[in-house]
Amino acid sequence: MDIALRAVVLFAFIFVITRVIGRRELSSLAPFDLILLIIVGDAVQQGLTQDDYSVTGAIIAVGTIAVLQVAVSYTSFRIPFLRPVLEGNPIVIIEDGNPIEKNMRRERLTVEEVLEQARQNQIASLDEIKWAVVESSGKISFITKS
Amino acid sequence: MADIPDAIVLKRDRDLEGREGEIWVRRVILLLLTALSIAALLNVFGQRPSTSTAAAPAATLELNAPTHLRSGLLWSARFDIQAHQDIKKAILVLSSSWAESTAINTIEPSPVDETSDNGKLALTLGPIKAGNRYLLFMQFQTNPTNVGRRSRSVELFDGTTRLLGFDQTMTIYP
Repeated sequence: MDIALRAVVLFAFIFVITRVIGRRELSSLAPFDLILLIIVGDAVQQGLTQDDYSVTGAIIAVGTIAVLQVAVSYTSFRIPFLRPVLEGNPIVIIEDGNPIEKNMRRERLTVEEVLEQARQNQIASLDEIKWAVVESSGKISFITKS
Repeated sequence: MADIPDAIVLKRDRDLEGREGEIWVRRVILLLLTALSIAALLNVFGQRPSTSTAAAPAATLELNAPTHLRSGLLWSARFDIQAHQDIKKAILVLSSSWAESTAINTIEPSPVDETSDNGKLALTLGPIKAGNRYLLFMQFQTNPTNVGRRSRSVELFDGTTRLLGFDQTMTIYP
């Protein structure tokens, strides 16, 4: 029972953390972020199963997390008004080649960072961008003028 | 104005109408997380030891052990007995909460005898001469399922005579 309870608490905590720290941090996986991800995973694992090395313990932990994940996904699918809370809404950061400063500041994004992402999408300059949207996953979608 | 991508609502996603609160919710939660880290630095969640002392004409007992713990934690307690008079048969009596859902890894030096005193742990240490000091170290590990708040007591006896003792509250976080 304890493992299931710990899984619920940690799932809720990680869910809140990922919603709070912002999409930008979640979408990038620079070497430092990757190492942080491993450290967080390790810290969570120790709190989750502690000294329990049993297969039963692992099945309870993974099973509980899987059920919670499906529950969140199903809730978001069935109850539209909870979707912004559970998944978040997109944010438009560029319109017709013009950066929307307020929205970029909110996402802690600089024009240089957006341009870097744009180059990875074979877009050379802001002028080519019709829309740039930070999706709820943290990724930036670009829609070009041409 | 450029064609708007499907599912993008300009008032909501560009002008952020009705989304002003989101940033404040985020800030408040981040503030709470910061407070949590500061509280941890201030030893609110253990495991830094603190010292409690009980004194009597015959002896002084100092206990150095954490009162705030977390489940699964390894920790130690140091019992420092300073005899002011000869103690013929020093017995340290610990309440059962010391061992409840807690592994006792080692006791150094090993007591002469270990018995149950009406449900309490009675560790016979032997004689301590006046002016001498007896240091007893105990190493523990709190079980992962051991969570909550309980009292624990320490008493020092000379044979059947109680010399001193005190109670503490122990808090174990999950």
